[in-house]
Amino acid sequence: MGATTGGVTSIGGAELLIASLLMLVAGFASYRMKLGMAKDIVVSMVRLFLQLLALGFVLRWVFGNQTWWLVLLILLVMVASATQIASTRVTKAPGGLKPAMFLSLFVTGLTMAFVVTGLIIRVKPWYGARTVIPIAGMILGNSMSAMAVALDRLFADMDSRTDEILALTALGATAREAAQRSIRNSIRAGLIPTLASMAAAGVVFIPGMMTGQILAGADPLEAAKYQIVVLLMVSASTTACNMLAVLLTYRRRFDVEGFFIEAGMRDPEEGTRRGLKPWFGKRSNSKASR
Amino acid sequence: MAVEARQEGRTVTIFEGVSLALEAGEIVDLVGPSGSGKTTLLRVLARLHSRTSGTLLLDGVPDGDIGPVAWRLAVALVPQKPVTMPGTVRDNLLLPWTLKAREGQTAPSDGELRELLSFVRLDDVGLARDSSQLSVGQVARVALCRSFLTRPKVLLLDEVDAALDSESASAVAAVVARLALDGTACLRVRHRPPDGLAARRVKLADGALSEEAV
Repeated sequence: MGATTGGVTSIGGAELLIASLLMLVAGFASYRMKLGMAKDIVVSMVRLFLQLLALGFVLRWVFGNQTWWLVLLILLVMVASATQIASTRVTKAPGGLKPAMFLSLFVTGLTMAFVVTGLIIRVKPWYGARTVIPIAGMILGNSMSAMAVALDRLFADMDSRTDEILALTALGATAREAAQRSIRNSIRAGLIPTLASMAAAGVVFIPGMMTGQILAGADPLEAAKYQIVVLLMVSASTTACNMLAVLLTYRRRFDVEGFFIEAGMRDPEEGTRRGLKPWFGKRSNSKASR
Repeated sequence: MAVEARQEGRTVTIFEGVSLALEAGEIVDLVGPSGSGKTTLLRVLARLHSRTSGTLLLDGVPDGDIGPVAWRLAVALVPQKPVTMPGTVRDNLLLPWTLKAREGQTAPSDGELRELLSFVRLDDVGLARDSSQLSVGQVARVALCRSFLTRPKVLLLDEVDAALDSESASAVAAVVARLALDGTACLRVRHRPPDGLAARRVKLADGALSEEAV
């Protein structure tokens, strides 16, 4: 991966402390404007430190002890975590979506990751953790966010089209035909952020991975080419993942007889699961690094 | 036939022991207090609602032997809330023929569409008119025509004339009468005063169905 450590300034404890002080700005705003977010700010900061430092240690260890099964195991854990996080972001959805979400991320994410590392970057050995894990991470992170948007949109859109779906079904439409417009809308919604970031890359912002490579001392042109590959693979896998996830799940809102299970027919327990579990933090628009 | 539903965490019986037969070409009105389950009954008949027990028969064939989509081609429900899909009036009227279930069947010609539109007093609405520009009453009639054109064996009308003025309502009734002449059995939920078309009137109240004098 070119020059990886050459130009990096080492960050020590003092530097981390200075950076932490920057968060005092947010803390002061919270205090003065009575945002009531002091606890959230502290918790988020602590998590940031713990999670990323732990990741650093784990990756350092994995890079030193990599075996194919260890890399695959880590990838599985990543897919499982992405499934869990995405499922908490999809509200107003029927239960039992996780297997489909897991499958969509697993199939599309890992296929794309190995296509890129095997055919484009040509990593040796094929499970080279230093490349495979970050690449898979970028793909899964983006697919996860997009899939959550797409599925959330799918079920919200179908709910808003309840009358239309009933009319279509009554005229002889299959579940697929009745859901078609929502399926299309949701895949489109899931793609918009990815396409927007492709269009804005290099003009509005320097993409995260390119920034990292440049900071690490890489040639900007080399970094740009890498970034192009990354953005292309991210949008391709995001599209594939959205399509698979939406097509695997829309039927859960339809009865075996093919009619839409309207809000009034649902189990009242369902849909009470709103918002996120605390461990995954507040709903945010934070994107995985690209 | 029985239908149960879950309301506020309890299982409630909407109706039970309900039995109804419709003859070809017969028009039957279904009345009853609001909330008695008339809409649910129509939806069960079109296999658009689950039921706890009971069998539906179409020309003596039990519903278990007919696929749900094929069933709904024969037993057409026109829902209470009429909707048009994005597109022109023509797109909406021909929508049934864009579905897989009617693949290979010939869609009605523009001439037939215009004739039916003028029959329900929609002469002024061109086939190329965008459906989003239609009034509530016009949407209701376009949605009705869409189902009329499919010539189902059984037509289930859920208060479709609620949004219509009395002139349009009688025009709609005339189309229903015309379909009945061709052998379509028709069950109508209505709140308007009787129009003399129905051979029978049945009342759904307190979870049971009873015959009423016309």
